[in-house]
Amino acid sequence: MSREEAVEGIQAYFDSGDYVAELARRVAIPSESQKENNQAELRRYLEEEIQPGFEAMEHNCEIFENPVEGKGPVLLATRIEDEALPTVLGYGHGDVVRGLEDQWIEGLNPWVTTQVDDKLYGRGTADNKGQHTINMAAIRRVLKVRGSLGFNSKFMVEMGEENGSPGIFGVVEANLDKFSADVFIASDGPRISPERPTIFLGARGCRNFELVLKCRDGGHHSGNWGGLLTNPGIVMAHALKSIVSPNGKILIEDWRPPPLSDAVRASLTDIAPSGGDDAPDIDPDWGEPGLSPVEQIHAWNSFEVLTFKTGNPRQPVNAVPAEARANCQLRFVAGTNTDRILPALREHLDEHGFEMIAIEPPPPENAPEFNASATPPDDPWAAWTADAMERTTGKKTAVIPSLGGSICNDLFNVTLGLPSIWIPHSYSGCSQHAPNEHILLSEAREALAIMTGLYWDLGEGGTPGKKH
Amino acid sequence: MSRDGAVARSLEYFDDEAGYWTDLARRVAVPTECQRVERTPELYQYLEEEMRSGFEAMGYSCQVYDNPLEGFGPVLLASRIEGENLPTVLGYGHGDVVRGQEGLWDEDRDPWIMERDGDKVYGRGTADNKGQHSVHMAALKSVITERGQLGFNSKFMIETGEENGSKGLKDLVAAHKDDFAADVYFASDGPRVDIAHPNLTLGCRGTRNFDLVLNLRAGGHHSGNWGGVLANPGIVLANAIATMVDVNGRILVEGLRPPPISNSVRDALKDVKREGGENAPEINPDWGEPGLTAPERVYAWNTLEVLAYVTGNPDKPVNAVPPRGHVNCQLRYVVGTDPDNIIPAVRQHLDENGFGMIEIHEPPPSNDGKFAAARTDPDHPWAQWMMGAVARTIGNQPAVMPNSGGSICNDVFQDVLGIPFVWLPLSYGGCSQHAPNEHIIWSLTREGMELVTGVYWDLGDPNTAYQP
Repeated sequence: MSREEAVEGIQAYFDSGDYVAELARRVAIPSESQKENNQAELRRYLEEEIQPGFEAMEHNCEIFENPVEGKGPVLLATRIEDEALPTVLGYGHGDVVRGLEDQWIEGLNPWVTTQVDDKLYGRGTADNKGQHTINMAAIRRVLKVRGSLGFNSKFMVEMGEENGSPGIFGVVEANLDKFSADVFIASDGPRISPERPTIFLGARGCRNFELVLKCRDGGHHSGNWGGLLTNPGIVMAHALKSIVSPNGKILIEDWRPPPLSDAVRASLTDIAPSGGDDAPDIDPDWGEPGLSPVEQIHAWNSFEVLTFKTGNPRQPVNAVPAEARANCQLRFVAGTNTDRILPALREHLDEHGFEMIAIEPPPPENAPEFNASATPPDDPWAAWTADAMERTTGKKTAVIPSLGGSICNDLFNVTLGLPSIWIPHSYSGCSQHAPNEHILLSEAREALAIMTGLYWDLGEGGTPGKKH
Repeated sequence: MSRDGAVARSLEYFDDEAGYWTDLARRVAVPTECQRVERTPELYQYLEEEMRSGFEAMGYSCQVYDNPLEGFGPVLLASRIEGENLPTVLGYGHGDVVRGQEGLWDEDRDPWIMERDGDKVYGRGTADNKGQHSVHMAALKSVITERGQLGFNSKFMIETGEENGSKGLKDLVAAHKDDFAADVYFASDGPRVDIAHPNLTLGCRGTRNFDLVLNLRAGGHHSGNWGGVLANPGIVLANAIATMVDVNGRILVEGLRPPPISNSVRDALKDVKREGGENAPEINPDWGEPGLTAPERVYAWNTLEVLAYVTGNPDKPVNAVPPRGHVNCQLRYVVGTDPDNIIPAVRQHLDENGFGMIEIHEPPPSNDGKFAAARTDPDHPWAQWMMGAVARTIGNQPAVMPNSGGSICNDVFQDVLGIPFVWLPLSYGGCSQHAPNEHIIWSLTREGMELVTGVYWDLGDPNTAYQP
């Protein structure tokens, strides 16, 4: 009975094809949460795959109905071995984005896994079925080798993440005791590069809003009226200029996060982002002066004009346009005062003479609202996890203070008050949310070993222990 | 046989439902949308069925010239030569209209069916320009009937591509210079400045459209994973625009600014009031060049407009850094601005302000009208004569506009034919030309009938005739 035995066992599980077979069964369930009236598939995923999987590992499973009408249920699997041991909360989501069946490379079907060289294609292979399948298999391996886990395990699987995780805060807040734990360890998203084992400790939040300047009802002939009428496109351009410099530096003081802590700066010194072959070229002069590209993404705020429209761009006419509209987004790291984002914008616009520009909510179909939260890189659990991973891989773990994108990290970090540790098993070229989603099999094999070693070590003692 | 008799004939025609109303309604019903290439047959139809038959009935001989540019509309020239020693007056109208914009009109009006509501008569082309050249044709007919002849030589050209920038017209006239040769030019288009008082217009601003294009990469990239390291073209273009024109519309690029306003132009504009009628948009008194009056800003200065501006997908915003941005710009410029230096000046300005990556493109072919600025001096004898002829009808001096705000093919008359030109606009600023709900004011058009008839009468009266 040893760590090596457990890790070798999990690699045998992978090499025998059992991992791919298990994942293929899960991919075959079209659990698309953005589709209406797909409740049966969402429930089926929990009842046919997740519940039996955890019950076989002697977890008690409870399925919570979603408080939001028509949204998917949430499963919590619990195995308490000893109240004195630390409790680890895991997480996964069984729902996927739409299949986009007709857009995949010829011969590929989103609901049938297909292996081409090192890639295993299928909807959910990367996001997130492939990842929680890895974590579940690792827990199962440790339990089999050791006979017990040596820690208390809780694992939740939701079915609405791709739909903005509706109701999930309601479920957890109504059942705080059931979801309580000492540390949160879960897997989603991409590594910093395919070969670099990675943890990230939080996520940027995001707020979308629209700036709207409506000057009048219709366009007016630019010859007869040009010189007398405010051009909303020009005024809006000036308003944007007052918000963000030509190089992307944010100019509203309240929108700028506190300076980077030494721990954050240190954790990012040896990180080089790599998006794979399809990644865009980075603009080194964009963003906050003096920060490195990884610091811009993982430790700073960014303001985007997602769309801008004035006049009729498809068919320009010689008229002073009536209205200009900019759909904007602020991504922000923990430490930014979320409650001040919109009030500070209003004050900024007023102070710069743009009282006539209205701030409106974004269109409902693209209105994400995420808070920012992060566990500090010098948290004991962060260091412990990075070390445990290195014991398996021999590689230095990349520690990312905050994911550039937005996820419900605050549910775990703030609502449940846990150190939040994410160990991603995918890579940024995986086409999640697009046709041809895939996972790299070599990365999955390594991830199985990492997670098995990690769960092994969690039961060995020597962890930061229980919350005080 | 008298001036009053000729005017009475015109008014009788105007007030008879079978007269002006019927003729104009039939002309409006021909959908001569020159911005749609499939409408070329309608352009020919308009000239053959409406113009040729109308002028031939008045003893004119007509010739239709194909446009030298493929896909653009023909030009008709009607000529009535009464004596080699008489002065020749060239008239002008355009039979084409802008797009109908069906479905966007109030009361669900059909742009091709003329409809009266109180003093307003709606229909595409009522104001711009079918209603106006129909007045001229009727006035010429009244004079011929009353006097038995005009008493001068008359040439009248009808083009069918004005709303497309009169493409090919300059070359066509240059190739048939003798056919179009005349001593002076008199026509009607556009709005008068003050709805309550007629004015002559002696020139026009030129137009140069150009596009600013910033194409940074092939596709959009997730704003969470990439926000902070990718230049946002919407932000860069907004900043660039803000360096070209200030927040109050003042042009900041030296090469796009005209020389100071001359005293004669300033004097002519002193008494001009700028009123657009009840449908007119609210004027922003602080817009445009500081220190200029409202009329000076429209008629004696340049304006830079953002006609349209797009980045991202405004109809369906997604959380991605958009790959490109596109701005359609327009400079309206007065005589004295060097048209050949407009684009080089913009290029130099962008380069000097750190926007070398922004490309300047030609505008889309559907809206790339280029007009040169032109002007007849307010002191020219033909301008003075026209003032007298209008004054004989209204009892006092008309206003004199050194320029219209809009752009029209004056350079054809000024530069190719070398003749002085004077416009007597018959519409008003609130007429919604180029927009849904285009209309004329019936009573105003009736007054125009009197004015134009009086001018043609006086041209053929030996006591008042113009001597070139």
